[in-house]
Amino acid sequence: MRVLQVINSLTFRFILRYVIALVVSVFAVLSLLYTYLSYGYFTGLTDSINDELDTLQLVYRGQGINGLRQYVGDQISAPAGASFSYLLTSPEGDKLGGDLPSTPRYREFTEGWLAFQESLLHRGETSDVDFIARSRRLDTGLNALVAYNFAAVSESGAVVFGTLLWAMIATLILGIIGGFFAASFAMQRLEDFSQRLSRIVRENPAERMPMKGEEGYLREMSLVTNRMLDQMSQLMQGIKLVSDNIAHDLRTPLTRIRNHLNQLRDGLEPERQEAVDRVIEDCDDLLATFNALLRISTLESGSRSAPETRVDLGGLLADVVELYEPLAIDKGVELNLDVAGEHSVRGDNDLLFQLFANLVDNAIKYTPAGGVIAVRVGAGEVAAGHRIVVADNGPGIPVTDRKNVFRRFYRLEASRGKEPGHGLGLSLVMAIAHYHRGTVQLASNRPGLKVIVELP
Amino acid sequence: MKVLLVEDDPSVGSFIAGELSAAGYDCLLQDDGEQGLAAALEGNFDVLVVDRMLPGRDGLSIVQVLRESGDTTPVLVLSALGDVEDRVEGLHCGADDYLTKPFSMAELQARLEVLHRRASTSSDAPTRLQVADLEMDLLTQEVRRQQVSITLQPREYKLLEYLMRHAGQVVTRAMLLEHVWGYHFDPQTNVIDVHVSRLRQKIDRDFDTPLLTTVRGAGYRLGAD
Repeated sequence: MRVLQVINSLTFRFILRYVIALVVSVFAVLSLLYTYLSYGYFTGLTDSINDELDTLQLVYRGQGINGLRQYVGDQISAPAGASFSYLLTSPEGDKLGGDLPSTPRYREFTEGWLAFQESLLHRGETSDVDFIARSRRLDTGLNALVAYNFAAVSESGAVVFGTLLWAMIATLILGIIGGFFAASFAMQRLEDFSQRLSRIVRENPAERMPMKGEEGYLREMSLVTNRMLDQMSQLMQGIKLVSDNIAHDLRTPLTRIRNHLNQLRDGLEPERQEAVDRVIEDCDDLLATFNALLRISTLESGSRSAPETRVDLGGLLADVVELYEPLAIDKGVELNLDVAGEHSVRGDNDLLFQLFANLVDNAIKYTPAGGVIAVRVGAGEVAAGHRIVVADNGPGIPVTDRKNVFRRFYRLEASRGKEPGHGLGLSLVMAIAHYHRGTVQLASNRPGLKVIVELP
Repeated sequence: MKVLLVEDDPSVGSFIAGELSAAGYDCLLQDDGEQGLAAALEGNFDVLVVDRMLPGRDGLSIVQVLRESGDTTPVLVLSALGDVEDRVEGLHCGADDYLTKPFSMAELQARLEVLHRRASTSSDAPTRLQVADLEMDLLTQEVRRQQVSITLQPREYKLLEYLMRHAGQVVTRAMLLEHVWGYHFDPQTNVIDVHVSRLRQKIDRDFDTPLLTTVRGAGYRLGAD
């Protein structure tokens, strides 16, 4: 797993590409060099073969066939000039002289160049040797063939070529291994970085990335990240402060208005009291909204650690259902509870009650008479957690709105003005779930809405 | 009623103190734990309202010191939301009630009245409760009005018992939720009203004088003021 991760990492792939490009380019350069050198070598070789043929021609013209034989014999037996081999044949094809067998099997190249392999007795052993040769018809129809044995050169060529090939393979392998470790190291550092960052996001927003000991791009990244975190916390604080202040500062005068209205009401004749009562009710609604807003913002400020007490979910949900049952009956809605197994979570009793009460409340509010609401626990396995589902068969929430409904004051067009509520119920649900390190998801109940709460 | 308020947040403190004074309470505000404790030991207050987190000395330790010195003045602890331990711990330390911020003034007033009344009445456990012509036998769990037996569901019984124990006082919905259902939370809708109206049907419908009245903007009251 770890190996695969490293291999898939950007650093490793980058290094691998680099090594391959390096090997290919070095190979190309060396091949060019090799071609150039062999070309030079063979040009020199063909020149010297042509020269030797010229010499043979001259000798033949001056001294006839016998002189030629003599010359060839001398050349063959000369200790220093062993590099050329000869074959003299009559126009009929009979061998007249030289050290090559009469009919060597050869391949023919362009411009009369021949190549063949021949077994040679060399230091007491026969070995196959490569020759390059050219034959020429001398004046009277006599055929002369001069061959050069380039075994030594092609051998060293093969050695050089082999060495190069191995060097390439070694470069490739070492490059991959080096790349693996480099990538693994880089990834380790990046992993540390991302782990630390996610810890900051998850647990302690006040923490910052350490700058000590870091260098290069990671230091740069830490710097930018810290700056970003600073800005973020400033923004968050600003928003929280503003919303807290608004809620708090408006609460004071509103309470005063409410109390004045209450005093005013007592001095009025009964017919007019009703109007004042309605205004007082509106004041109370507003105050309740501010209170809800303050509660959400306190929970979301994230300064508190997760609660430690254990809560029995089954009992809590039974209490929620018991509390809301009369309301459901009044509306003609069926409210069912299905708890499978024991479910104990770490949490705040009151807050969890608030969470599920809000969900059941919503479900009753939006499910038409004759509908069914089901509260289920234990349906479906969740890794190391509990899944609570509150499902209804009301109108549901369109997919496009599912994310928005958790926003403060967001209300669906359809319910705006029709149903009571301040549009903070689901925001509070989300805030409480997050406070418990849990999640809330909305899904379709086909038809209706299914709210899935997962708690660790 | 003389109330001592110990609260370090100046805006919250002056808001509560102002509202309580406007409602006719005699309210003293202290913003520090030590000064708060000194004032509590020295002055003769009817009820104390103490914030949980305070500079100098925290709210719970004020309650503890008071109780150790034999002072039984009722104390209501104010705490921030989400401090679960506070409630248990607070009640354990000798506090009489607790309220999570933010709260409505009607809520605080109703609770202060209950605390004040509780402190001034005798503390022996009765076996019978009576409000006007409504009677409840706590041993047999029998409820009668004008000698007519009334059958109640267990939750309705608990609801009526709480109302009867606080007869004549304003009882808020939050107080009912807290003491009858055992949860402290903020209902979005009139869920409590449904329970209360069911109870009302049983105890008031067949009789001439209604006992259970709704107090606008605050809660309910059983019996005469």
